[in-house]
Amino acid sequence: MREYDVIIVGAGMAGLRAAVGTVKRGLKVAVITKVHPLRSHSVAASGGINAVLPQNGEAHQPSDSIEQHYRDTLECGYNLSEPEAVEILVSRAPGMIREMERWGCLFSREKDDRIAVRNMGGATFPRTVYASDKTGHAMMNTLYEQCVRLRQNKPDQLRFFEEWFVTKLLVLNNTVAGVVALEIATGKMEIFSAKSVIWATGGSGRIYGSTSNPLTNSGWGLAVPLYAGAALMDIEFVQFHPTQLSGTHILITEAARGEGAVLLNLKGERFLGSYEDSKRNMELSSRDIVSRNIRREILAGRGVNATCVHLDMQGIGSRNIKKRLPGVRELCKTYANLDPVRQLIPVTPGQHYTIGGIHTNEKAETGINGFFAAGECACAGIHGANRMGGNSLLETLVFGEIASSGVAEYISQKHGRIPNKQYFENAFEDEKNKICALLERNGKTRPAEIRDRMQAAMDEFAGIYRDGMGLVEAGKIIKELKNTYRDDLGVDGKELRVNYGLIDAIELRGSLDIADIIIQAALKRNESIGVHFRNDFPSRKSRPRHSLVRLQKGKIRIHYLPVRDKKNLFDLLPSVWKTKK
Amino acid sequence: MKEKYYKIAVFRFDPLKDTAHRFDHYTVPASKANTVLDALIYIRDYIDGTLAFRASCRQGRCGSCAMHINGRYGLACEVRLVPGQNRVRPLGQMPIIKDLMVDMERFWEKYEAIKPYLVRRSNEAAQTYANRRKIEKTVDCILCGACFSACMMTGMNSGFHGPAAFVVMNRFLLDERDALRDQRLEIVKGENGVFRCHSMYNCNEACPKNIKPAENILEIKKNID
Repeated sequence: MREYDVIIVGAGMAGLRAAVGTVKRGLKVAVITKVHPLRSHSVAASGGINAVLPQNGEAHQPSDSIEQHYRDTLECGYNLSEPEAVEILVSRAPGMIREMERWGCLFSREKDDRIAVRNMGGATFPRTVYASDKTGHAMMNTLYEQCVRLRQNKPDQLRFFEEWFVTKLLVLNNTVAGVVALEIATGKMEIFSAKSVIWATGGSGRIYGSTSNPLTNSGWGLAVPLYAGAALMDIEFVQFHPTQLSGTHILITEAARGEGAVLLNLKGERFLGSYEDSKRNMELSSRDIVSRNIRREILAGRGVNATCVHLDMQGIGSRNIKKRLPGVRELCKTYANLDPVRQLIPVTPGQHYTIGGIHTNEKAETGINGFFAAGECACAGIHGANRMGGNSLLETLVFGEIASSGVAEYISQKHGRIPNKQYFENAFEDEKNKICALLERNGKTRPAEIRDRMQAAMDEFAGIYRDGMGLVEAGKIIKELKNTYRDDLGVDGKELRVNYGLIDAIELRGSLDIADIIIQAALKRNESIGVHFRNDFPSRKSRPRHSLVRLQKGKIRIHYLPVRDKKNLFDLLPSVWKTKK
Repeated sequence: MKEKYYKIAVFRFDPLKDTAHRFDHYTVPASKANTVLDALIYIRDYIDGTLAFRASCRQGRCGSCAMHINGRYGLACEVRLVPGQNRVRPLGQMPIIKDLMVDMERFWEKYEAIKPYLVRRSNEAAQTYANRRKIEKTVDCILCGACFSACMMTGMNSGFHGPAAFVVMNRFLLDERDALRDQRLEIVKGENGVFRCHSMYNCNEACPKNIKPAENILEIKKNID
């Protein structure tokens, strides 16, 4: 058994920021991650990170303000956001950028040396800080570098367990006790006991087929805490990004439209102008609107090859593409054999971001003592019913840090009781037997077959447009697939060591459960709001409410919570934050 | 003419069980696979779940799936399958864990040895436009290990830092804010340092991100009297 103050599960941007935060607070930290930290999907984030930067005493855009960032976020989220969490997010943003810059992050700059900002959908002013179109890569390297530095200076305090796969979260008397994990290379399973656990496992996009998420984002990251008693909030809200390279899982960043790219239909018209909701902001309307209208255009027979529309970047100019969007150009060349400097890019909406997640408050606390969650896997209600581009990277940093301070406070209050040895031994045996039992499965259905059918059902019935009949149908399919998983699953390898087939099988159980929950929650929400659009209930209800899902004796239970009211929030703020008149 | 199937020979070796490696031959439907990684995923999903390889982002950004493909190094997710025979084997110079998965510990050790982090000289100095432009050419490195694997010197000398570590070092040497310049140069002066590089340019050839590590190494050499 290994003992730590804090265990951080996941080493993307939220996990690494939490690692830095907890080590700096003097805690003994283990980071457990399925892949090497620099292989985490945060490296693929391209567009940028939102922050209203006061530079030389002035906001970058003189009329912009933190208050405006707050309003934009709320508006983009259709007022389903938690105002308190959003306030924390936007007000801590400039500090986070300064900190990243101090640590060496190479943000793109203006010729006068100020940090450059760009446009993103839903933002009133350009305020998205970026590093060409490889912002995630730049920030992840910086964070990992800081971790290496801390580890070299304080080797006893920080340890990475790379390519360890967490199979269970241990919770006793509603207090977190640790995790059980499997070392992929050796097949060794071990108990990690901890006073506190920070969960930072990222998105769950692989429940859908049409996703730009990596192979690792299976939904297991949400399933493990769910099995341990955590609640999931707003899980039916799944964001589809408007511009995924057609026929692939490659995302063309929103920054392309921020820099001036336009969307064209078969006839070469900028069709967004003919829809009421995207008339005003055109390509820079929020993501849910653009995705819906692209789909509408295709359904109306004005799509290219009946499957996609065109993204036209030629207006940006060859020089600016090379300078600000080199990654887009590389991706187009590699995966579509085309050069966006001269050619149109075929794009179609694809699953992009899991807005819902583990229910947390604005302190990153969950309902379980000592258990914190940050980043895409968490849901503090920041993004409401639709996430604004550039806010997710911001969330990982801000809430990675908030979780760190929360953990330090929690541990200092000596809440962190450690259960006795017998408890851990029993939990370990139990988990090991469960995993080994999977190895014995000799059914005829491969995990991938079940996964493919699940993804197809989710794409068809739980995507951009949903309706009651389709969701019921999807629910039936998932139920059948769960039965197949239970009765007829076959796993190829028969040992724990380097067995990715086994890991796929383990994760698939989580994927199916999360898929089921998304469907049930979507079915129960009889309204259309943000990314959740029901053809059979096209208008929204007057009072915004969050859904909250828990498992009780294996059954899905859905409750609703009102959004907290805090309308006059900004009257309380110091005047420097307000718009300068 | 459009292929209906692709053929791929995949390196298989389990050091705990096998005495020698072998190549297993697979046929993958063209409708299911465009890139080499698609084919490997198809094999693991539908033919043999025990095939071991690393992969994550599927779009050339995470660096997990570097391997030796059809005669040269590359990212499996970026290299398209070719008609006729495809052939993949793992990265070289590193011990094999299983099949296409290698133990990259030495690679990361060398990366960490060059102190890959900024220690600023002054608290206030911010990055400048001009300085960032200078550094730009080094920042696309995704630490996939292809150059390390292609380098003759890392193969012959276990102490040699290897091209990727030098690219990262050059990133910090070029940064005007960096306070560790002297320490860094001390690290690369020694016998396992930059002068062990004989400019064979295998690293330039191997880099899937067109970084040109050899040029970075030359630049570092110029810093040393």
